[in-house]
Amino acid sequence: MTGPSWLPDTFAAIMLVVAAVSAARLAAAVPGPRQAITDTSADCAHLLMAIAMSGMLVASLRTLPDEAWEVVFGVLTAWFAVRVGREARGRGARAWAGGCHAPHLVHSVAMLYMFLALKVPVATSGGSGMGGMSGSSSAMLHLPTLALVLALLLAGYAVRDLDRLTDPAGVRLYHPAQTGSRRTRFGAAALATAGASGAATGPAVGRSAAAAPGPAGGSPAGRPVPGRGLASARRLVIAPRLAICCRIAMGITMAYMLVIMI
Amino acid sequence: MSEGTAAARPPALARRDGAMAPWAAPDARRWLQLGLAAIWLLDGVLQYQSVMFSKAFGQMLAATAPGNPAWIAEPITWAAGIVEHHLVSTNTAFATIQLLLGLGIAWRPTLRPALAASIVWSAAVWWFGEGLGGVLAGTASPVNGAPGGVIIYALLAVLLWPSGANRPLPAFVAARQVGVRAARALWLVLWGSLAYFAVTAANRTGQGLHDMVAAMASGEPGWLASINRGGADVLAHRGLTASIVLAAVLAAIAVGVFLPEPAVRATVLLAVVVSLIIWVVGQDLGGILAGGATDPNSGLLLALLALAYWPGGAAVMPHPADHSPASAGIAP
Repeated sequence: MTGPSWLPDTFAAIMLVVAAVSAARLAAAVPGPRQAITDTSADCAHLLMAIAMSGMLVASLRTLPDEAWEVVFGVLTAWFAVRVGREARGRGARAWAGGCHAPHLVHSVAMLYMFLALKVPVATSGGSGMGGMSGSSSAMLHLPTLALVLALLLAGYAVRDLDRLTDPAGVRLYHPAQTGSRRTRFGAAALATAGASGAATGPAVGRSAAAAPGPAGGSPAGRPVPGRGLASARRLVIAPRLAICCRIAMGITMAYMLVIMI
Repeated sequence: MSEGTAAARPPALARRDGAMAPWAAPDARRWLQLGLAAIWLLDGVLQYQSVMFSKAFGQMLAATAPGNPAWIAEPITWAAGIVEHHLVSTNTAFATIQLLLGLGIAWRPTLRPALAASIVWSAAVWWFGEGLGGVLAGTASPVNGAPGGVIIYALLAVLLWPSGANRPLPAFVAARQVGVRAARALWLVLWGSLAYFAVTAANRTGQGLHDMVAAMASGEPGWLASINRGGADVLAHRGLTASIVLAAVLAAIAVGVFLPEPAVRATVLLAVVVSLIIWVVGQDLGGILAGGATDPNSGLLLALLALAYWPGGAAVMPHPADHSPASAGIAP
């Protein structure tokens, strides 16, 4: 019993686009005087997850062995767990609902789970790995309840992210740099591109502490921002909205994969 | 838009009249809308399962026809036939529609059309996909998902409709669009009907509830199957008593929202607890873990609906923009 082959192919194609965008964002964020305000760890995670998922969906796109991916996503899970833990120290439980790292942690856990939980018999998969996961009724899934919980969480984070796409302040909450010290001149331009600069005149509730121009830098509303001369394509690539779109696409794809694994 | 122009404007969304509406942080109603969106999203993903692209899906639809009046059953059979003959195209359309409904509700500029479309879609699925939840077939039970999970989506879409601007905030979220009386009446009808279904002939037999719960264990993970078996053991030969107790609890929930606020809180809390118990014990989380489920069934939605009646919920996380036509980022 299998679904149409174009379905995983389509999701895999979307993941390849996400991987390309994430790679472009990483390239745009190379250190320098005009370093972009991108979350390198998040973009790196997106890149790795997208490559891994495309390989899980379409066997011919497999890159690394499953064991290597398990190590990669184990490290990513630990990395984001630490960051969520730090965030939770300041914001408490709200770090899970409104923080910028919690979705990355859930994504990492979901990836790790998918690699660890699904064991396809070698005889039916034509080899090791999860390339045959689509519709594989012979696969033995461990802890299927966790798959459902993760799918629900991923759906929840996807709609929350989508809700924030219409919010310049919400978009900025995506950026850990807003609560840290990595805000740069180019970053201010990126935020202005995302419509963030309006926070200064927006309603109080739309202006979080993280959104307000802080001592770390940034451009007060109405003031021309540096970096204006950069190519608009580059600004588009580093726009927080694009990263959020990637995260939404990955969340939905992961939820799809988890559900068909069940 | 130049950066300078962007900098001069508040964070805003384009409105129909060209003015810019301020973005508002999610309030209680928006969180419930997002919950509904997440469930639609999950539905869409579930519809992409491999089994939905097999003849089993068409057969699943056709199985809802028997027992219904002919004018209900014949269109179901006709629709199931079409689905069986065009499995890939119809199921892809169904899944994509549900995915888009979830995304549309989550994205503020499309909230209203998505909610409106979800009402139409829910009504169609309730008829053609669920056979009106077995309401007219005499097989409906609150334990197996009566009056049909999908119709609760429509009810939620109505109650969470993004308007009610320029009105004083009512006592609870569900009343913001339709008013307190109408919201309470809808609650009474829903939970009252559940109480009635609990004691219909099919459900008050000695083994009726036992058989229903025991049958759910097949294909479920061990812990859920154990719960099913335990629940079935408790219900064995006590069908009538269990049905009466369940009906009494559901009736108490139905009338509880008309009581003073402390009692309403207790009622809503009881409704959430009962919904979740039904969802886990009677519906096995919608049967998703056994494979082949198209939605999480009614328990989860009943719990979400109950939260919309929590007293003071409408005032949770209030924000200035909520009193404006720009509430939830939508133009009036």
